[in-house]
This record gives sequence, structure tokens and C-alpha cells, in this order.
Amino acid sequence: MSAKQTVAQAPGIRQTMSDLHIWTGLLAGWILYAMFLTGTVSYFKDEISRYMRPELPVAQALPDAGRTAEQVAAAILAQTPGTPQLGITLPTPRNPTASAFWRDPQAKGRGFGSGVFDPATGARLDARETRGGDFFYAFHFNFHYMPVIWGRWLAGLCAMFMLVAIVSGVITHKKIFTDFFTFRWGKGQRSWLDAHAALSVLGLPFHFMITWSGLITLMVLYMPWGLQSLAPPARQAVTSEMRFFVPPGKPAGEAAPLLPLAGFVQQAQARWGPDGAGTVQVNHAGDANARVLVARQQAQRVSTTPQYLLFDGVSGALLKTKDTSGPAATTQGVLYGLHLGRFADIATRWLYFLVSLAGTAMVGTGLVLWTVKRRARLPDPDKPYFGFRVAERLNIAAIAGLSVAMTAFFWGNRLLPMEMAQRANWEIHLFFIAWGLALAWALLRRPKRAWVELLWLAAALLALTPVLNALTTSRPLWRSLAQGDWVYAGLELTLLALAAVHAALALRTARHQPRARPVRKGGASQPPVPALPAEPVGEGA
Amino acid sequence: MTAAHMVVFLLCAAGFAALALAMDRHQQDVLGRALPPRATQLLRGAGWALLLAALWQAVGAKGWALGLVAYSGHASAAAGLVFVALLAWNRWRGQ
Repeated sequence: MSAKQTVAQAPGIRQTMSDLHIWTGLLAGWILYAMFLTGTVSYFKDEISRYMRPELPVAQALPDAGRTAEQVAAAILAQTPGTPQLGITLPTPRNPTASAFWRDPQAKGRGFGSGVFDPATGARLDARETRGGDFFYAFHFNFHYMPVIWGRWLAGLCAMFMLVAIVSGVITHKKIFTDFFTFRWGKGQRSWLDAHAALSVLGLPFHFMITWSGLITLMVLYMPWGLQSLAPPARQAVTSEMRFFVPPGKPAGEAAPLLPLAGFVQQAQARWGPDGAGTVQVNHAGDANARVLVARQQAQRVSTTPQYLLFDGVSGALLKTKDTSGPAATTQGVLYGLHLGRFADIATRWLYFLVSLAGTAMVGTGLVLWTVKRRARLPDPDKPYFGFRVAERLNIAAIAGLSVAMTAFFWGNRLLPMEMAQRANWEIHLFFIAWGLALAWALLRRPKRAWVELLWLAAALLALTPVLNALTTSRPLWRSLAQGDWVYAGLELTLLALAAVHAALALRTARHQPRARPVRKGGASQPPVPALPAEPVGEGA
Repeated sequence: MTAAHMVVFLLCAAGFAALALAMDRHQQDVLGRALPPRATQLLRGAGWALLLAALWQAVGAKGWALGLVAYSGHASAAAGLVFVALLAWNRWRGQ
């Protein structure tokens, strides 16, 4: 890049964009890194949840969907006879148990009950109390220990910064095509810039999509005025265009038997194919005004706009076929669907995960680049100024510390006592305790040592998670491999691969020797080390 | 299903490899010399053609909605593979 040319003149568009890119990136970077990484693992949310509930059975052949719906509904109605609404998510090959929620007027709190059921027998399955993968998913836009609304505004603000950083980064990056495949090894800041640019450019369609669609998923929160101008019934109609949301309505007060659910599910299967029924909802079972809704399986299409059949639960008449939404709702539904990737088959899901991981590394390398670039220009490298030290330490806690914290969450899941009160909450507390300790460590130790030690700690915790699992459950890695249980085996092999990545980073960081100042050659590319540019380097790409 | 994914990925990887080899810097890295302009043009044309073929395959196998999503993912992953392969090649040659 042509730092030499631009410095002499008044700052041009590229310089201005570069400054914008650097400062939006840094200010939101620490939070964005956590949003990106916890969001990335959420593509395997269901798999993580299954890993964290080892009591649930290994995947089996799925029974008939209609029978499953009937049995689960019967189990819920036996327990909560007066429920005005119950919803059953049918099992899929990816998630082989049926899950359900039901309104319970007697229940404390939000008035909902929920549970996981055996699809073959309808028996309720007991598993340890845990949020599972849902914690990472919720954290990536709600955060924690704060009202959900604050978290979502913070996430939206950071996503807006990210969008600014993406656009300004593309403008700053002069040689986006010439340098498409370029990586100059062992050249300090230049290498970091090449890595940052490659991670950004190669995944650019995804990074732009995920940031923009992330804002769109919460658009009604950020820009509520359109909806607010409508009367409540019209508002509900808009919501019903966008999501599968049908209120329970009013009961007639007369008892009438509910037709068997299997018949309704079969009609949906006839319409959408044998795997086409996704969820079954029953309103006012046993009442003359009973309604049955069968919604389409999300795996078949990108858009999250609702498609469902509405039946009279007593006569069996098909009252409504909802299979289209308006263009505005569909645009929102497609972007929402693209963000969540619920439709993705296993290959597409892995692509989502890998490119999203590249996005995480893009934010991480950007954060480190900020310190690498400034370290080269420090007047006294032994006594950096305050802002530099803050950024350097926060980088360590945000990047290496998060790996430690996320793995600690798995360890809590296996080690906390089963009967502990508030067990699921304590798993989450443990995540934040580990993260807080990592921050304290990053503040107390010399930066290079803190990087190396925390990266090694993360590598060790990751690598030992399968060992811990072998010791605390009856599903060790060798058995998962032998039985072809790819949820368990795949997750543990991924943890081992991530352990190797952390170990490699720790080794390279530890081995790096800063060069003496006058030498005009950068060192190898490590996080916390002084590195001089080999050539005048432009601004972050 | 899996076969369709493999085909799209391999077409993308071949396409990006051809596009990389149509660039001066990578010709020097991989071959140690610049290719004649005619060969460079051919490689560039072949690269774009392969990427289009991958798109055609993806959309053909999965329809526009799911096909475009899968294609975008395969394109990013394949470009990453070519990037890492060039990096490994240069490291292995001791550059």
C-alpha cells in the first residue's frame, strides 16, 4: 500500500476509510470477537446440547412422525390437562428426540412448561439441568447478566460498527484482487495484514451477509416505529406473516374429543413430503374449538416465513393453508434464515462453521494487528502508553481467555454435582468466572507470558475434554467412533483439532524472538511481540 | 447429496487454482517464471469458467435458494484451500 504517497497530501478517501476501519474495528472488536465465536459454535447448537446431555439416547431410527406427535401430546395432556396450547417439535435425523412446550396456567414464572420426549414411546426423558448450546446462541446477541433488551441493543450497535468496518475495509484494501492469494510469511506486520485481509476477503460474502442479516433479525427492535403505528390486531397479523405464531384463541367451553393427531400429520406429509412436518401445535385440546396446526420442516427451505396447515381439531376440516408471505416478510424471512442456517445439511453446516470461524479469526487478527502496528512505533517499547497496554491486555483476555471460558463451560457440565440447585446457571457462572480469571491473569502477567500461558491452558482444557467425558460418562470417544455416533465423535475430534490450533499458536508465540530495533526485518507472526514492518505498510485492510 | 457437494467444491478449487496461476506473483512462486500472455489468458478464462460451472452444478443439484448458499460456502472454502496450498508450497520450497 502506498503510505508514502498519501502521507504527503491531505488525507484521501482511502486514508479516511482506513482510520474509520481501524477505530470502529478496535472499539467494537472485543465484543464482536465474542459474538462471532459464540455465534460460530451455535451452528452446532443442537449437537452441543446433545453432548451436554449425555443421558439422552444415541440417535436411532425415527418412528412415524404422526405417532410421535400423538404420544407426546398424550403425555403432556395427562400431566397438564387444561393447557390452552402445546407445541411439539418433531424429531429429525439431526435432533432425534422430540421436544415440546406447553402453556401451564398453574406454572410459576412465564407460565410455560417444556421437556424432551422419547419419540418412540412419548415418555419424558430426564437429563441433567443445562442450557447446553442454547447458552452460546443466546449469549451471541443477548449477552448475560443484563436485561435482554440492553444486550440486543449492544449487539446491534456492535453489528453496525462491524458493517462500517466491512465497507470501509473493502475501500481501504487497494489490491483486493492482486493480493487475493498473497501471504508474505515471516514479515511481522505485513504478515498480520496479509492474514487479516485473506480471512476477510475470502469469506467476504458470508461476513457481509451475517452482519447485515444479524441486524435484520432484530430490525423490529431497532426500528419499531412502523409496527407501533398499527393497532394491536394488525400488529399481530404482521408478526404472523413473519413467524410461525398463532395465538391460542378462545375455547368454546364445551368438551369435544380431539381427533388423532396422526391424521393431520399425514396430510402435511402428503403436501410437503415424508420429512415435511416440522412442528405440531394443538390449541385447546378437548374443547369444541380445538385447533391443530402442522408447520413445515425448516430444513426444506431458506426463508423462516411460516408455512402451515390449520385444522379444526374436532371435525378435522382444513381451515387454512398458509404457504406464502408478502415480499417484505419474505425478504426478512430469507435474511433471517440465511443468518440461522437451520436449513443447512451437514456439508453446508460445516461450511457455515468454517467460514464463520474465519470471520472470528478476521476480528482476532484485526485486534492483534492494532497492537503489532503500534508496537513498532513505540518511543520506548518497555514502557508503552496506557491505551496501548489496555488494548494489549484486553486482546489477551478477549481471544485466549474466551477459549478458556468456553471450554470451562463444558467442564462445568461434566463436573458440577447433578443435584446442585441452579445447576444450569452455575455452568454459566463458571464460564464467566473462568473468563474473569483469564482477564485478571492477562492484567497481572507480562503480555507475552500471558498469551502463551492462556493459550496453553486452553489447549490443555480442550484436549482433556474427551478424557473428562470418558471418565464421567459411558460414552468415551473410542466407543462413539466404534458405534458411529458422529455427534459425539465429531464434537470431540473438533475439540482435539482446536486444541492443536491453540497449542501451535502457543508454541509460535513462545518461540518468537523480537529482533533488535535497527534491523529492518520483521519477526515471525505472533500475537504479543514487537515486529517491525519490512516495508512501509499501509493501514489495516 | 454429498457427491453434489464434492463436485461443487472441486470445481471451485480448480477454478481458484487456475485464477491464482493466471497471476504473475503466483506464476513466479509456483513455476519460477512468468507464463506467456496467451497461457495466462487461457488460465484466467478457465478459472472463471470453472467457477461458473460450479455455480451451475450447485443450483442444478439444490435449486437457487439452497444452491446459492452452498455455492457461496464452497467458493470461500475452496479459495481458502488454494490460499493455504500456495502458502504451504512456498514454505516447503523455503521461500
